[in-house]
Amino acid sequence: MSKESKDVLYGLFDDEQILLNAVDRANDSHLDIMDVYTPFPVHGLDPKLGLAESRLHIAGFVYGAIGTLTAFLFMTWVFTRDWPIIFGGKPYWSVPAFIPITFELTVLFASIGMVVSFYTVCGMAPGITNPTLDDRITDDKFCIAFDVTGADEAAKDKLKDFFSQSGASEVNMKTI
Amino acid sequence: MNQFTFESRYRNVLIGFMALGLLCLGITFAIDDELHTRFWTNYLHNSVFFTGIAFMALFILAAFTTAWAGWHTLIKRIWEAYSLFLVPGLVLMLVVIAGVWGHFHHLYHWADAGEVAKDPILQGKSSFLNPTWYTLGTLIIVGIWILFAWKMRQLSVDEDVNGTPEFKHHHRLRIWAAAFLPIAGFSSAAIIWQWVMSVDAHWYSTLYAWYTGASWFVSAIALTILTIIFLKGQGYLENVTAEHLHDLGKYLFAFSIFWTYLWFSQFMLIWYANVGEETVYFFERRENYPVLFYGNLIINFIAPFFVLMRNDTKRKYGTMVFISIVVFFGHWWDFFQMIKPGARHTAMEALAHHGAHEGAGHAAETTGHALEFAMGFTIPGLLELGTMLGFLAFFLFVVFNRLSRASLVPKNDPYLQESLHHHVEIHGDEGH
Amino acid sequence: MSAVVSQIREPLIQGGKTYHQITEDIVSPTERAPGLAWVVAFIISVSALAVYVFCVAWTIWVGIGSWNLNRTIGWGWDITNFVWWIGIGHAGTLISAILLLFRQKWRTGVNRAAEAMTIFAVMCAGQFPLIHMGRLWLGFFIFPYPNTRGPLWVNFNSPLLWDVFAISTYFTVSLLFWYTGLVPDFATVRDRAKGLRRKIYNFLSFGWTGAAKHWQRFEALSLVLAGLSTPLVLSVHTIVSFDFATSVIPGWHTTIFPPYFVAGAIFSGFAMVQTLMVITRKVLKLEQYVTLAHIESMNKVILVTGTIVGVAYLTELFIAWYSGYLYEQFAFANRVLGPYWWSYVGMMSCNVLSPQIFWWKKMRRSIFVTFVMSIFVNIGMWFERFVIIATTLARDYLPSSWSYYTPTWVEIGLFIGTLGLFFTLYLIFARTAPVVAVAEVKAILKSAGDQYTGPDAHAHEAAHKAKAH
Repeated sequence: MSKESKDVLYGLFDDEQILLNAVDRANDSHLDIMDVYTPFPVHGLDPKLGLAESRLHIAGFVYGAIGTLTAFLFMTWVFTRDWPIIFGGKPYWSVPAFIPITFELTVLFASIGMVVSFYTVCGMAPGITNPTLDDRITDDKFCIAFDVTGADEAAKDKLKDFFSQSGASEVNMKTI
Repeated sequence: MNQFTFESRYRNVLIGFMALGLLCLGITFAIDDELHTRFWTNYLHNSVFFTGIAFMALFILAAFTTAWAGWHTLIKRIWEAYSLFLVPGLVLMLVVIAGVWGHFHHLYHWADAGEVAKDPILQGKSSFLNPTWYTLGTLIIVGIWILFAWKMRQLSVDEDVNGTPEFKHHHRLRIWAAAFLPIAGFSSAAIIWQWVMSVDAHWYSTLYAWYTGASWFVSAIALTILTIIFLKGQGYLENVTAEHLHDLGKYLFAFSIFWTYLWFSQFMLIWYANVGEETVYFFERRENYPVLFYGNLIINFIAPFFVLMRNDTKRKYGTMVFISIVVFFGHWWDFFQMIKPGARHTAMEALAHHGAHEGAGHAAETTGHALEFAMGFTIPGLLELGTMLGFLAFFLFVVFNRLSRASLVPKNDPYLQESLHHHVEIHGDEGH
Repeated sequence: MSAVVSQIREPLIQGGKTYHQITEDIVSPTERAPGLAWVVAFIISVSALAVYVFCVAWTIWVGIGSWNLNRTIGWGWDITNFVWWIGIGHAGTLISAILLLFRQKWRTGVNRAAEAMTIFAVMCAGQFPLIHMGRLWLGFFIFPYPNTRGPLWVNFNSPLLWDVFAISTYFTVSLLFWYTGLVPDFATVRDRAKGLRRKIYNFLSFGWTGAAKHWQRFEALSLVLAGLSTPLVLSVHTIVSFDFATSVIPGWHTTIFPPYFVAGAIFSGFAMVQTLMVITRKVLKLEQYVTLAHIESMNKVILVTGTIVGVAYLTELFIAWYSGYLYEQFAFANRVLGPYWWSYVGMMSCNVLSPQIFWWKKMRRSIFVTFVMSIFVNIGMWFERFVIIATTLARDYLPSSWSYYTPTWVEIGLFIGTLGLFFTLYLIFARTAPVVAVAEVKAILKSAGDQYTGPDAHAHEAAHKAKAH
């Protein structure tokens, strides 16, 4: 998420299968892909790009555990230390009656925590404008982008050759 | 290998375990009190448990067929084979029925005419809880299940040979499967009330049937995972992969939680309202059978929850074998705690009335006081384990025998290709 | 790469769509001026909403005395409506979460609208406990905050407080789930828009780019949220059922209530989805995305859950007799034969008997029958809650306090008013957001759609052609 502008050379593909083949080809020729943009999640793309598995679910577990402890310990404190009251002849520390709220807060903490984490690590928030390469990427185009900031013409030509050989329908430059 | 052969080495091992089971039952009978309570409760416990697994396999088949699940096609022969255990299951239950008529056992409070005569509550129930209904209910309901199991198996096997490009067999199978679902819903409840809930003849709970159903379901899934991994180890089912295992693992996980949910709903509502007639059930278990009561939750909720929460553990054969054994044992334990306390109580009362002095414990006056520890009641003993292994061997014997009668891969099933190329989408809910 | 799909499955996206056409079909309604049908419906809804505002104001000004509640009948239409709306608010999360577990791909066609409906229904439901308090301005007392009264905490052992936690959690999580799913689709709308519209949708889409890593995290998030929502959705109606079942009132205190309320919630939720989708697909011309296969599948769910509810009704009746408990037996005899017998008949016929019509494929695939049935089920499920609440309270332990309850115009107005709130919100949603999940539909086009590209694609084509003839 650097603020400096980058020169990006990108190619658009019409189909996810062509895109996947192109990514394979780029990997074979050791081209350094900056990013791939797609209108929907393309299955099988992550391993080809070498993306490590998301650790979001681990964070979710931690948030959930915090919620569990918060709810359970708080109710325990209220009913055994702060203001013990007998309800319906039950003991002060009525574990079965604490379960519903404990469960709800576990889910609440895990969900809010994960959603906030997701938007934070993706650099997204209401009102933020992240630079996009092409309006059709959210429609029907699949895009492979290379960072060519400071690259010489020969390197750019090599990339353009790659695009034309791998079936890109369009190749463009953009500074973002 | 698409054709399973029931080799003599499997046969011998299973026969060995069956002999062990018989031996354990025999020893139990010999060292038992004069009503043979431990023997009969063990017998009822295992018969109900394994017959229930057979029923649940049929239910799973019907539900998956109706819901166009598809991915299970490669393992559906295993469930078909399970469901055919309903026939020996009915025979097992006939022995219990014979016992009800002949008063060989005191499993059921309501079966003792002398007791009913002085008990207005039991009199109120006697038009449902009586030997005739017990017999008819079992025969009719299990009979209907057998009919469906047999018909669905027949259609499925016939499809291998006479399958058509229009999938005629499959379309007929769907009708049978859909029709079975409501029948299963009503009948399983009616039968479990008689078989198990009526062991505590005064007590009642509307959730009971669904709770036991969930217990059967989890056991059936756990046993399926074990069977698959065993068969794969023997070189069969080479197309069943970690993907299928992953899905079964999800079911094991989800339904373990579902079982816990039902357990909690039943327990919490009874605990909260604290109506004496209902609370006595859990009070008895918590006070006199704490190992059973708390162990049940630990084995059946805590263990699968933490082991199966992560996706990768659902794809590891070793972990899945471990947790399936734990959960299978856990639900066997669950049925143990459903049956033993009530039956023991009935027997103790009966012993007191029959003027016996030394029995399964002190007689009825102990109600409300701590009960003595009794092996085979307070916790399952070695004899119970041996009996369970014997029944399990019997179950597997029947299952392997049935498996060997047809191809392991349903050749002309319309979903076969889907099942062969099954992939669990770990990261995304959709995709390719 | 495409998954193998059996040719026996009906394609879930029809009409030979390209990715671009999918965008065009689903997004363009948000770009057009609304049609006459929408305007008329909107005016009616807003009028009903006005009735709601008036009746709430009346209730607060005059007091709860303007309702016909009395000494024994402390819950009437208000809690009936509350449970009814909460039940309806279960379908969205169920479609997204539980159908995911059961691998039902047809959920992609309807999940967006169903989730929106969930949120609006929960909003309607939440109104009733609040206005039922009477002194609405003290509503914040239900939250456990440090206060100057001791601090005297709320009663964490009360099912009514569990409700507060359950419903606010459910609302929050459903909203997050729904909105996160909308973000990529809002980006699609943004990238087609110009001027002010682009600014608005840019704000709403949070700066979505469609980068591979973002999609990966997005899917991980969706999956875990779905996983969390599954037990959550069960817990919400379970806790609502605890409101009744933890009591010692015959007819309320029964252990089957939690799962049976959940089944009923699925049942009524799907019925409301059908009511809305049958109209939405027609008006917005989305018949190729919400196909007859979708409608048929939902009708099957309605049949299954209707039958489950039927099993539960009969279980209750049977166990009431079996219990040997006089009051329990009376409570159920009173339900069936007592002064409110008509509501029991309504419940049984709408919920258990009439859905059996869906055993016939022809009925499951008839739009007309589907629509009529969905209304029946909505009515039946309302009756169910009325049966549970009113019949029980009208006949308590003490015959001298037996009475009969009918609503006042204020209570009826409140109910009609929440319908207005619900439909107003839904109509706004249908004009401003893609009502079908665009990205999700694109993702299944080549596996579950009619553009199937798997190994035996020719067999699919043949099968579908044969069907067309």
